[in-house]
Parts: sequence; structure tokens; C-alpha cells
Amino acid sequence: MIKQMRRYEGWFGVAAGLCIVSGLYFGLVGSPADYYQGEVVRIMYVHVPLAYTAMLAYGALFSCSLWYLWKRDLIVDNMCQAAAGIGAFFTAVALITGSIWAKPTWNTWWAWDARLVSFAILLLILIGYLMLRTFTEEKERAARYAAVLAIVGGIDLPIIKFSVEWWRTLHQPLSISTRGLSIAKPMGIPLVFMIVGFSFLFFYMLAVRTQMLYLTHLLEAKKGRLLGEVHL
Amino acid sequence: MSFFNVIRWITWKDLISEFRNRENFSSMLFFALIVVLIFSFSFSMDQTSGREQIPGIIWVAFTFTGMIGLGKSFAAELHNDCLDSLQFSPAQKGAVFIGKFLANLLFLLFVELLLFPMFVLLFNLEVLEKLPTILVIFLGGSVGLSAVGTLFSAMTVQIRAREVMLPILLLPLAVPLIIGGVEATAGVLRGDPFLLYAHWIRLLFAFDVIFLVVSFWAFEWILDT
Repeated sequence: MIKQMRRYEGWFGVAAGLCIVSGLYFGLVGSPADYYQGEVVRIMYVHVPLAYTAMLAYGALFSCSLWYLWKRDLIVDNMCQAAAGIGAFFTAVALITGSIWAKPTWNTWWAWDARLVSFAILLLILIGYLMLRTFTEEKERAARYAAVLAIVGGIDLPIIKFSVEWWRTLHQPLSISTRGLSIAKPMGIPLVFMIVGFSFLFFYMLAVRTQMLYLTHLLEAKKGRLLGEVHL
Repeated sequence: MSFFNVIRWITWKDLISEFRNRENFSSMLFFALIVVLIFSFSFSMDQTSGREQIPGIIWVAFTFTGMIGLGKSFAAELHNDCLDSLQFSPAQKGAVFIGKFLANLLFLLFVELLLFPMFVLLFNLEVLEKLPTILVIFLGGSVGLSAVGTLFSAMTVQIRAREVMLPILLLPLAVPLIIGGVEATAGVLRGDPFLLYAHWIRLLFAFDVIFLVVSFWAFEWILDT
């Protein structure tokens, strides 16, 4: 699996680069400013893809965790850890860019709105996940516990989203949904480019980070063997 | 031993050991009282404006109290290597989970039942005819909290910094329970018609069913060797 990652990761990187560069060009130069929001709307081309990719990362984490509990494969666990780290980063940046966008449009940095709160909870779950991994000493046990947490969290997330949505909502509806675009074409096309580009970027980062974690692991195991003790 | 015997013995031994030292119960009860006391200083508790905050205070007290009890639940198994015995025993792991879950649920409900009259007295609530609904809401919140909490208690007891990790992992996941409990209790205490808050009670019980099944299934991987 590591070999396949090394073989294909470059293509993902190139695809991500192409999509993001063209998306940025169409978004920042080729598309008009919003009638109501003015130039401020352009942060959307970063904010929305980040939010989508954060959810994609949790999806990857969830499926890798199931896969790990099934096969107990070390590389799959490395993939879980990589997906969680990248996911936490994307979630945090999505919250920050959203906050920057909210200040001029809603006139507040933060609102107790449904989607904001559920994203903040997503970030907390991911940070808890990463903390659980660092606080568990044995590698195998850390992998197992982390997988269970990711699965329980993944089942809980839709419930959290619904309950928070019932509780209150202020966010504008999604721009791109299964019902099609609810956004003007010159703004929708760069947005789609950016979302696709960020998804490629996520898989590229996932491949690189997984390999890194795997190699660190091998190195530790070798060091352990040299010192006459067996880790893992 | 059959599945149900394992459940019965695990719950029974937890209840007996609790009855003998009363450690869990007394710490939960007094902790909850202190939480209520702190809240009464933090918010103005006069008759009109204080009303709004009462459901929130009740559920914060319950959640934090549950956290204390759940944290001790598996920490008690560390003495004399009881946890290892549970791990190596041929009993089904799911039965061990249900046993511990029932014991935790009973502690939590017991403390809630003692606390609630105090809330009624301290905050001057009128609850007599609403009592059955309120008890159903408490049950709904406690089952979910105990189910997920028992799972994470078993998980965090075997790692470093366990006192910190249990709330960090459990509280974000318990958000639907807290929202549902607060909104439903607020609805009852305001005297709203049942249909206005029935969906919150449904949410609580849906959460309970889903996470009892998930925790039951996931417990296999926690007590694995």
C-alpha cells in the first residue's frame, strides 16, 4: 500500500495544484463581487472548500477506523492518525476563515448558530481524538481506542448536527447541494474548482502524512530492536 | 455463566461495594450540591429572571455528577487487578458492559432522585402534576450518559491523565443529551403543551437506543487483550 501511495501521490498533488490555481484565478479575477457582500464574498472560495474537506477528512477517518478494527493493519492506523490530524487542521482553519467572513457580513466574529456550533464540536472531537492517541502508551491499544472513538463520534455527529439545528439556525443555506447550485454560475464554477482541488489536496496530504507516520513507526521499531526491546 | 447471570453479578457487586463504602454516592451528591451553590452565586436567582436558567443548572449538575460517578466506575476495578480479571474472564464482554452500565445508571438515577427535591425547594418549583414527564426526561438523559460514559470510562481508565480525558471525550459527544434534556425540562417547567417539546424527548430516547447498541458493540474492542 505504501508503494502505491508513493506512486500516485504526485498525481494528486499536481491535480490539487492545477484545480486550486485555476479556481483562485476564476475566483479572484474572473468572477464579479457580490451585490450585497462586495469583495468580502471572495473568502468563500477558501472557506467553503475547507469546510467540505474537513467533513471529507472525518469520513475518511471513520471508514479507516472501521477498516482498522476489521483488519488490524498498522498502515491503516497510520492513515487514521493522518486523517484526524489533517481534519483537525482543516476544521480549525474553516472556523477561522468563517469568523473572518462573519465579521463584515453578520457583524460578529462568532454566533451561536447551528452550523458553527456543530463545527466547533467536530473540532473538539478531533482534538480529543488526537489527545487520546498521545495519552495512550501502547501503540496497538492507542490504535484500537482511537478507532472506537472515531466510530462512536462518527455516529454521533449527525445526531449532534440535527439537535443543534433544532436548537437554532442562522447560517445561510448551503450553496451547493444535491438540488443543484443555488449560486450564480460565475461564482459557482470557481467554487467547484476549489472544492475539487482541496479534495485532491486532502488525499495528497493524507498519502504524505501516512507514509511519514509509517516510517517514524518503522524507525522506532528498529531502534527498539537495537536496544533489545520490542515496541509495537 | 450465562449472559444474564454475568450482568446480574457485575451490577450486584458494584451495588454491594457501593453500599459498603458509599464513596461514589457521597462524592456525587456533594459535588452536585456544590455545583448548584456556585451557580446560585454566578447568576442572579431571583424569582423572575432566574427561572430561565433552572433547566440549565439542573442538567449541568447532573452531567458533572455523572462524570464523577463514571470516572470512578472503572477506576475501582484497578485495585487488585480486577480489570485484568474482567479482561481475561470467559464472560461475554457485552454482558460486562451491560452490568457496569446498569450499576452506573442506578447510581446516577439515585443521586438525581435525591437532588431533584432539593431543586424544587431551593428554586421554588411547582412540579407535582408534571412529575411523571420530568422523571421520563431524567431517565432519557441518564441512560444515554451512562451508556457512552461506561464505554469511555473503560477506555480512559487504562491511559494517562484519565481524570481529564473522560470529560474531554464524553462531553462533546453528549451534546445532544444536554440540549435535549435542557429544552425538554424547560418546556415542562414553563408548562408548555406536551407537543411543543415531545421531539426533544424523542431525541433523548433515540440517542439512548443508538448508543446502547453502539457502546455494547464497541466494548469488545475496549476490553480486548
